[in-house]
Amino acid sequence: MKPTTFRLMRNEIRMLFNQFKQAITSPSLLLFYGVTLVGIFFVSLVISSFISFAPMMASLGVMIEDFIDRGMFFGAFAIVSASSVVTGYFGLGPAAVITSEDENLLLPAPVRPHQIFLSRYIRRIIRKTAFMVISLIAILPLLSSANILFFSIVFVLFCVIVFLETNYFLGALSSYIRLYFERRYKSHFRHIIVIFLGFVMLVPAYPLFTSTFTVAFVFPSNALALVITEMTGIFSLNIPFLLGVCLQIMMFTIFLLLTANICGYEYYEVFSASKGNEEIEGRFSKIIHGDVDFSNSKFNDPIIWIMLKDFWSRLRSPFQIWKYVYAVVGTIFVLYLNLLHPVWFEPLNIPPNLAFAVVPAFALMLILLVQMSSVTSLLSFIDEKENVYLLKASPFRPTDIVLAKFLLSFVEVGIAAIPACGFLIYIMRIEGYLALITLAAPLVILFTATGVAIGAYVPVMTNDPRTLPVPLAFSYPIINLCLGVVMILIVSLFADSVLVLIVLPVYCLGLTLFFLATSVRAINNYK
Amino acid sequence: MIERANVEQMKSKELLRLARVLKLPILDRKIARDSLVDMIMVEISLRKKRNIPEDELTSPAIKIESLTKRFGKKIAVWGLNLEVNPGEIVGLVGPNGAGKTTTLRILTGIIKPTSGSVEVNGHDMLTDPIHAKSAIGYIPEKPTCYPSLTVREYITFMARIYEVPTDIALVRMRQFVDMFQLDEFLGSYVGTLSKGNLQRTLLVGIFVRNPPYVLALDEPIYGLDPRGAWNLKAYLKRLRDEGSAILVSTHILEVAADLCDRFVIMNEAAVVGRGTLEELLESQENASKLEEVFLSLTGGIPE
Repeated sequence: MKPTTFRLMRNEIRMLFNQFKQAITSPSLLLFYGVTLVGIFFVSLVISSFISFAPMMASLGVMIEDFIDRGMFFGAFAIVSASSVVTGYFGLGPAAVITSEDENLLLPAPVRPHQIFLSRYIRRIIRKTAFMVISLIAILPLLSSANILFFSIVFVLFCVIVFLETNYFLGALSSYIRLYFERRYKSHFRHIIVIFLGFVMLVPAYPLFTSTFTVAFVFPSNALALVITEMTGIFSLNIPFLLGVCLQIMMFTIFLLLTANICGYEYYEVFSASKGNEEIEGRFSKIIHGDVDFSNSKFNDPIIWIMLKDFWSRLRSPFQIWKYVYAVVGTIFVLYLNLLHPVWFEPLNIPPNLAFAVVPAFALMLILLVQMSSVTSLLSFIDEKENVYLLKASPFRPTDIVLAKFLLSFVEVGIAAIPACGFLIYIMRIEGYLALITLAAPLVILFTATGVAIGAYVPVMTNDPRTLPVPLAFSYPIINLCLGVVMILIVSLFADSVLVLIVLPVYCLGLTLFFLATSVRAINNYK
Repeated sequence: MIERANVEQMKSKELLRLARVLKLPILDRKIARDSLVDMIMVEISLRKKRNIPEDELTSPAIKIESLTKRFGKKIAVWGLNLEVNPGEIVGLVGPNGAGKTTTLRILTGIIKPTSGSVEVNGHDMLTDPIHAKSAIGYIPEKPTCYPSLTVREYITFMARIYEVPTDIALVRMRQFVDMFQLDEFLGSYVGTLSKGNLQRTLLVGIFVRNPPYVLALDEPIYGLDPRGAWNLKAYLKRLRDEGSAILVSTHILEVAADLCDRFVIMNEAAVVGRGTLEELLESQENASKLEEVFLSLTGGIPE
């Protein structure tokens, strides 16, 4: 490596360090990081106090061996590699690391593309390692409850990260193959190669190659599966697991160097083209936008105007229509499942030795599903991009803006959550599921409000209203998880009392109002 | 390369840092500022004698031949020929979407041309990009920079990327930080700067390198206040007189008329006019100033 690579790496590390410094010196960022970490610790503590995970972990190995065979186990990892290759084929490859800042500063500078890639990759690895360490500390109560040795889990996590990073390189190489074929062939049939590439990733998982130790174990998916099987004793071949680790590291190094090697100036072009596509979409969106004249609306309420604007703007963004298609098709499908109970799709058969954990698992799944559906609310302000300042400068009251964002997000989160919840009550048929599933409604209300509030804080914390800062992005699921767990606790505490009818609405609506008021406060404090 | 006046501009801490970089033996607990400046200048003049003489630009410093760029079916630049010689400021003017920014992006190696060639200081941008890029400085249309770096860190980073010796980088940083009034922002994060201050920071990042320069400036006056704009224009003229080659793309015709020696007027991807202001005025009978020449060549002067 030339000295410039080290200079670039040093600069990346400097930027990371500065971000860390900014985070610990800005009270708002520190608060959100604090909430995130304490939140994970709290949730981990609550979950581990609900049930002891040790018996479950002890029986996990036997269960896995009972329910799936060795080929399926290896196949699962191979599918991850295959999907990386397939998605990587259609992705930007190494161009994904290039930013708008690089475009103006490093792309015109005497720096080679692989140097930009390597320096950016170092940053990625440092960030991942830091997040892994912090997450491990935060979930310590869960680990100790499950009687899992801290260093074992660190080691497994390390191997999983190496595996995922190797898959990232596989995806990058796959994108290079696409570029290579694009240069030579114009026919659309060239894309058939992606099926072949995906197939190549699946073949090594075939039992013929994995039932004994063969050369097929150099494949990243097999190497990780080998590490896990030999560490846990499940489907073990009695081979030292460190052999798998060595194979993983070897392949990681090879693919890292290969990816660095394929980084060429054509990726500058790929990056530029991807930016061009964004602009084309923007223009396309604007053209349709002009077709709708909001002044003809019969509604005179600014809240409705903002909601209409958001609805149409979102509808015109790519893939948004599929969300509504999913809501309709998904709802019909879960209705069909719950009403007709088809024999070809049986509900989950929960082993008797895990029956004690099923209700907490159901509640946790419910929280997670509603949380996943509610991401739209987080984006309600971010989707405005720089227009958020125009919105603030427009003659609307902050309360109107916040209510408009909240109501439209509530509808969107609601329609996304219905199929998910319907699927949950079908797949995990537990006693009292109808009572539990009603908690989805307060969860949707509450999570939508937190999403709106956190989204509203983006322009307060940063000068770039289109980018969600990492602490805010992380704090969102954690805050929701905490609020959801507390809600479940309240319900379980007051389950036998009529007081639940007062406490639950007070908790839910009180917090919703609090978060909406916080959003209004955020709008009044934009930078 | 480093003049005494520039060293005298430096603050005491910076002088000490420079002395450390130059490995000057400072044995006293206290040292008079003037004597330190003297010691530094002696050391610099000794080093100057040992160093290779300053580079000169080749002529033309920018050479664009038959440049065409297509984005799918859309033609962004069509058959552009352009040369910029050392000691010359050329204005690339044209309406929105004429292809100016695309031309500068190809010139700086950000994107590749569909056909044609681009040379910077004698180095082909396609076959010898590292040497070509070492020679050119670029200010983008929309200034952006790494938000997590401080202004000082950014300037130092750029000096390292372009392999400017630390002693020269220190002196030049102070010189241009003072010229663009950035002193109070040296410790600020780039992400917190206003547009004007960001533009100034990018300019210092370019000027921290050794002259003579080959510059490709896309709307360089963007966001600068009148004093900043004045300083920049004066400095660009000085650079031109010292042998730099500068290509300026701008919408602001007053800036172009005030700054540029020659003009290339683009409209809908092609060159529609070129020459000095006098030549352009001669070619357009009804025009009495650059604005009218521009309007006449790009769709006619409105009634």
